[in-house]
Amino acid sequence: MVSQLSFTGFAWKNLRRRRLRTLLTLCGITMGIGAFVALVGFSRSFEHEWLRLYQSSGTDIAVVETSFFNSSLDESLGAKIKALPEVAQVAPLIFNLMDITPDVNALVYGWPADSYEFDSLKFTSGRPFHGNQPEIVLGDMLAENMNKKPGDTVTILGETFTVTGIFHGGTALEAGAVIMPLAQMQLIASREGKVTAFHVRLLPTPAGESYDEYVKRAQKEIDALEPGVRAEAAAERAGNNQIVALAHSVAWGTSSIALLIGIVGIANTMAMSVFERTREIGILRALGWKGRHVILLILTEATGLGFAGGLLGIAVGWGALRILSIMPQTASVVSTSVSPIHLIESLLIAIGSGLVAGAYPAWRGARLSPVEALRYE
Amino acid sequence: MSSPILEGRELVKSYDDGRVAALRGVDITIEAGDYVTISGPSGSGKSTLLHMLGGLDVPESGEVLFRGSILGKTVDLDTYRSCQVGFIFQAFHLLPTLRAVENVQVAMLAKNGRANHRLERATALLEEMGLKDRMKHFPNELSAGERQRVAIARALANDPAILLADEPTGNLDSVNSANIMEILRGIRETRGMTLVIVTHENEIASSAPRHIRIRDGRIEA
Repeated sequence: MVSQLSFTGFAWKNLRRRRLRTLLTLCGITMGIGAFVALVGFSRSFEHEWLRLYQSSGTDIAVVETSFFNSSLDESLGAKIKALPEVAQVAPLIFNLMDITPDVNALVYGWPADSYEFDSLKFTSGRPFHGNQPEIVLGDMLAENMNKKPGDTVTILGETFTVTGIFHGGTALEAGAVIMPLAQMQLIASREGKVTAFHVRLLPTPAGESYDEYVKRAQKEIDALEPGVRAEAAAERAGNNQIVALAHSVAWGTSSIALLIGIVGIANTMAMSVFERTREIGILRALGWKGRHVILLILTEATGLGFAGGLLGIAVGWGALRILSIMPQTASVVSTSVSPIHLIESLLIAIGSGLVAGAYPAWRGARLSPVEALRYE
Repeated sequence: MSSPILEGRELVKSYDDGRVAALRGVDITIEAGDYVTISGPSGSGKSTLLHMLGGLDVPESGEVLFRGSILGKTVDLDTYRSCQVGFIFQAFHLLPTLRAVENVQVAMLAKNGRANHRLERATALLEEMGLKDRMKHFPNELSAGERQRVAIARALANDPAILLADEPTGNLDSVNSANIMEILRGIRETRGMTLVIVTHENEIASSAPRHIRIRDGRIEA
């Protein structure tokens, strides 16, 4: 059977003729998309885990300080929030990402022993801590990584804590977390009398009012309690909390740079390819190819590179997330779940990168004069 | 009275910012079905004239008319090249990454049409050129004569009205030259195409019913 030539087949042959360069270009865009999938996927799954955390504990509203970093509120604000007619329960807390050992870091929460947030935790061994003793409970994943069980001790920021229980966490944020008494956390973090946030459970929604309206009304009342206080609906807070916001910023910033490098790689390859194929483009133009056919050919090649790099990048990014999710240093905050929308978005960005990168070389190729291109040595 | 198929009026072209005059007001008329050879010394402007007649290049002044319509104004140059003209070059200009049959199909890619139709046409043309067993070969696996026959098949792919050949035997030995000329004359006779050949070989130049000599950018006879 003799060969049937299609437009895409022609583009494919052009890419294959310089295999090493095509492969290196693919590596560039693969790394860019891989970084995007891994970093943005991580930050989004991180946000999703926060939302699940709020949902599993039944938190309706998170109250924080009106600042991006280091939200710090007086613990006494809790009583004022509790006094509001819509509020059922208030749980003050401090959280921070801390080094537990040189190899393991984890989210450390400070909760009062009577916090309603304990309701959603299932203890697989031991018990919750009591009062304000130097005691901690560990998420099951973290306990396994650190090989700890009730009765063992853990040193955090120079203070020794006794493990009183191991709990099963429904989310990666819980499964990899440390929870200690709020007063102990305030002590080791030098934040006596301060908390990061208050989690608020509301009373049941009154008849005749929607849940969203009810939450908004409660938010307004909390906001009015003190200047500099912001009440956010739990779903909103999941995306806005300082760690998630920082993760989003770092993820987008880093992956944008990686993507830019990938785009420049494709643009360089296509520009070189057009330069080397000047005479061939002249031949195509002599055969009646219009400028737009030349543009289409070059863009098809560039988009093909982007598409292939996108698929490979998704595999690399997902693989990176898998590795991060089992490494002790990152297991507590990384989940392997990547939404299909994120994957489609990654592929579209890869294809778009190819189009952007191929635009100038394509335009240049289309503008070549046929007769000058044919004379080109 | 019908218009000539090709007409050049007062064609002027120069290179190197006007320092080298390639054409100095050339008038030429070619009727449909004509077999015309253009000869002249190197640098006389014969290839430049052929490029203008084929819509590859545009004159600085003057105009080229295809069946009475001005190229580049009332006739789109790309469409003219893809539908009305077939080019044959001295250096063959085959694409090195494509097999012989794909090189012929590539001329048809810019036109709408079904892939299997393009393949059928390319196969038929290569068979006509005596290359039935060489279709899957790449250009570097073919002899010079075979490459030029692939190039002729490619020039015929879109069934043009005019065949323009720029030194088609310039890279061939005498046996292959004779073979290619026989093929070109045969195509003209069987298909009724207009054939214009630029050559510096007197034997080929004088073999045509109409021979145009060009020197220093002007037609002599």
